[in-house]
Amino acid sequence: MTTTDLALKDAMSSIEGAIGVALVDYNSGMALGTLGGGELDLTVAAAANTDVVRAKVRAIEMLNLNSAIDDILITLTDQYHLIRPLTSRSGKGLFLYLALDRNRSNLAMARHQLRRIEGDLEV
Amino acid sequence: MSPVFDPAALPDIIGELKEVRARMPQLTGVLLATVDGLVLAHDADGVEPEGVAALTAAALGVGARVAEATGQGSLLELLTRGERGYTATYAAGAFLVLTLFTGPDVNVGLLHFEARRAGGRIAALADAQLRRMPVPGSPVDA
Repeated sequence: MTTTDLALKDAMSSIEGAIGVALVDYNSGMALGTLGGGELDLTVAAAANTDVVRAKVRAIEMLNLNSAIDDILITLTDQYHLIRPLTSRSGKGLFLYLALDRNRSNLAMARHQLRRIEGDLEV
Repeated sequence: MSPVFDPAALPDIIGELKEVRARMPQLTGVLLATVDGLVLAHDADGVEPEGVAALTAAALGVGARVAEATGQGSLLELLTRGERGYTATYAAGAFLVLTLFTGPDVNVGLLHFEARRAGGRIAALADAQLRRMPVPGSPVDA
């Protein structure tokens, strides 16, 4: 099992309320790995959320903020979507995407766990 | 040999091409051709549609043989990446192929999503039109 598979499995099992998770390359919009999802098509989510990340990176550049994205939270009426770019050298250009059921999840704990998984992930 | 198309069905199909261009501003061109290289519609700057359609037909032939020889069934897509962009060809039914041209920074995931959907819709339009046409050699009043 690859490190990516292990990280995705870790996210699905240790984060309460996780619906699906994906590791995405935002240069191409393609997913390196996905797990779970159910009715949520994670390949489409990976492609569509690539545009979200690209737009925010552009906004940060335009504002001359010498900063980087830690995470992006999108709150739907019944779900949370969490995006977390990888910070390691080997993970440059990748982000983790996590969809959560709002009723079954603890947002603070989920962010904490995702930060841990991202930190441990060497691609 | 692909069947002859009734030009009356083309406006709907061209509408689909316009739709896919509008949904993906990163596209630099679209081309709809038959699998044997006949151009049906195109909207692409800087490429010569007849030449590209003929090349696409040749590449599809090779791609289809590779897919078949490796036990992967019939060819669905062909993606070429060059230094300055991508050329992506998608099956749109049994007789048509949709080719999209993009710059190098395109979101390939989204390109696949939009092109597969458009390919499916074009296939449905083309198939509906084919059903209205009498097939050569078959009884017309069947």
